[in-house]
Amino acid sequence: MLRTRGLTREFGGLTAVDSVDFDLDPGELCSLIGPNGAGKTTFFDLLTGVLSPSAGTIELRRDGEWSDVTDASPHEAANLGLHRSYQITNVFPTSTVLENVRVAAQAAGNDSLRVWRNAGSFDSHIEEAHGILNRVGLKRKAGVTARNLSHGEKRQLEVAIALAGDPDVLLLDEPNAGVSSESVDEIIALIEDVATDHAVLLVEHNMEVVMNVSDRIVVLNQGAVIADDRPEGVRDDPAVQEAYLGGYEPGAGAAASDDAADPEGSVASESSGRSNTPEGEA
Amino acid sequence: MAISPGSGPETTTNDDRPETDSETDDGAETDGRTGAGDETEAEGGAGAEPSADTRAESEGGLESETAPAAETGTRSARADGTLVWPARYVREHLVHSGVLLFLALYPGIYTLLVNSPLRSELLAVLPEIETMVAVFYFGLFAMSFDFISGYTGYLDFGHAVFYGIGAYVVLLVATGKVPLLPAETPFVLVLVLAGLLAVVFAVLIGAVSFRLTGVYFAMITLGFGQVVYVFVRGWDYVGSNPRDGIAVSERSGFEIGVPFVDSLDLAIGQLTGDELSVLAIELSTTEVSYYMVGLVVVICYFAMQRIIHSPFGRVMIAIRENEQRAAAIGYNTFRYKLGAFAISGFFAAIAGGLFAGFRRTATPDNAFFFLVTGDALLAAIIGGFGTLAGPLYGRLFDEGVREFLSKAGEGGGLLPYLREHLSEAVLGTELLGGMTVQGAIETFLNGHASLYIGALFVLFVLFVPDGLLGTIRARLGGPVGKCLPDRAGEYVPERFERYWKGLER
Repeated sequence: MLRTRGLTREFGGLTAVDSVDFDLDPGELCSLIGPNGAGKTTFFDLLTGVLSPSAGTIELRRDGEWSDVTDASPHEAANLGLHRSYQITNVFPTSTVLENVRVAAQAAGNDSLRVWRNAGSFDSHIEEAHGILNRVGLKRKAGVTARNLSHGEKRQLEVAIALAGDPDVLLLDEPNAGVSSESVDEIIALIEDVATDHAVLLVEHNMEVVMNVSDRIVVLNQGAVIADDRPEGVRDDPAVQEAYLGGYEPGAGAAASDDAADPEGSVASESSGRSNTPEGEA
Repeated sequence: MAISPGSGPETTTNDDRPETDSETDDGAETDGRTGAGDETEAEGGAGAEPSADTRAESEGGLESETAPAAETGTRSARADGTLVWPARYVREHLVHSGVLLFLALYPGIYTLLVNSPLRSELLAVLPEIETMVAVFYFGLFAMSFDFISGYTGYLDFGHAVFYGIGAYVVLLVATGKVPLLPAETPFVLVLVLAGLLAVVFAVLIGAVSFRLTGVYFAMITLGFGQVVYVFVRGWDYVGSNPRDGIAVSERSGFEIGVPFVDSLDLAIGQLTGDELSVLAIELSTTEVSYYMVGLVVVICYFAMQRIIHSPFGRVMIAIRENEQRAAAIGYNTFRYKLGAFAISGFFAAIAGGLFAGFRRTATPDNAFFFLVTGDALLAAIIGGFGTLAGPLYGRLFDEGVREFLSKAGEGGGLLPYLREHLSEAVLGTELLGGMTVQGAIETFLNGHASLYIGALFVLFVLFVPDGLLGTIRARLGGPVGKCLPDRAGEYVPERFERYWKGLER
């Protein structure tokens, strides 16, 4: 579905992403994990054209053919079927929830150049938006202004916008960031649901979630891939334990080492007090 | 521009207004044109007739008014389900028709009121017709400024370039200085040509400027504006003293209406315009200008409103809200911004053309200078940024206050009013340190309109940051055209309630 070869990005002397060879198969749910600063978000930015790589290639499989999308700009990447959600909520704040998704649905196709017809008369966009809102569980919030949503709902909307336009590949950047422990289950259900008909690449800090939902896990450390295996394999990999998991034991709620040092503290604090601390999870 | 029947439901509206029923979707533009013809008859009657005229205009609005529905609309249509489309159109119509009706009647109202016993009070307060013409064309310029700056969030401080282009194209053609275009080229065609030239300039300026964002965009457009201004100021092709601008003396009045058909157009301008008498009502040249300029402005307003509520307009709003995300969901934001800029430039040039057509003269300082953009910004902020109609009200407010505080006798205002009504004894009373009332009036009022406008502007930004229309919208919870009828419904007396409800069915 998506593959990178030797993908590298340097910022001055720092190599944020270091010759990554990565493959994402159709229908697969692959998780990307790694300690803070491992280059996960940079990797996403490279894939979606926000940053351009210093070296290497990105290819996307469309209609059975690999096409090179290394130099695609963000909107080109999106139009090629590569959509992403953001770690820090990034929606259209003063539009309604429905409009947030509708305008994203409208992006596919050429309707956006129609200047003389009312946006409300393009029923297909509205229907698609309602369908997606149903799916992510925001059906009853369609008329609410996006900035008035709760944090958890904003995370759902974040995914909803990425879903619009029926992408082939979904890149989800910490859909759980800052979500209260009660709502985590909803987001997990959502991730599993969208994974049924999209290839999903997930960045996630909550090990419990990662171990449960992933088909495959890729571990980044200092920009380089140090493991790429099924969850069980990754869990037992000493290199991974060394670099990242710090003695993770399934079921013991010991995602602690990771979460305590969560760099996304900014996001957590944004949710004013709700955070996915290990206590909450245990 | 092709309008497919898909936007159908609108056509089935108006049980209470049979005449408009036959209107199809293609109405907007043709309406405007034929409206010009209709209007000549309509303007006259102070009573029923002008409403017909308004109707002609508001039919154009009929479809544009899918509009207010748009912002919060689609949702509420679905959410409550009780209001079906046609009824909503009728009800949204009420406010727009009300405003148009009032504007159509305003010259009549003005004449009636200033001949009433309260003459001098009203003369001081009401803007005169000539001022209203200026409010119209400059309001259109302010709306075009709002179109780009209020809806995509890019402050264009060089917007006067397009206004100036509109004005100068009209005047250069009229003085025979443009090859291939004779001086008597129909004004409406020249307006469109000026608009297209502005589009070209917008694309050129935008292609460079939209590589920047925020304050840098504002700075670079200001830079372009100043370059053009300085160029025009020294461009001796327009006359021996380019700083004095261009004035038209030869050409007959600039006529608005159907090109090449004499009976279907009317000339604007105070001295060169047409007069008209319909049904025993005499319209002066200023009043004819009021209607004709107003007509063009209304058409342009509805066109812009329609674009705002189209899918294209939604992308503009998405760019304002969050450009990064707009790109991430697949919009080539650069092109949309450029498109919006071009459209905005087009209408700004129309506004400039109307200005030149009415005044028959323009100088670099009142057409190209960056303070012209500043006035548009002022109008947009007072009226409400990102509301489209707001800047027109903002300009009306601005001009109204200016006129009220100015010393000019003919427009009425506070100063002549006080002079006229305060007795010699009062005027001579000493207030403080040898200053008489007369002296105080001269000191504080004479020629200080701009000072007070400035203070008002500060107060507006501090206390009414959403502007007039924006604040009303916030209070009502949505666009006025949509929300006011709903609110009004709550106050309808019981015995009328079933008629009101009937509109919902």
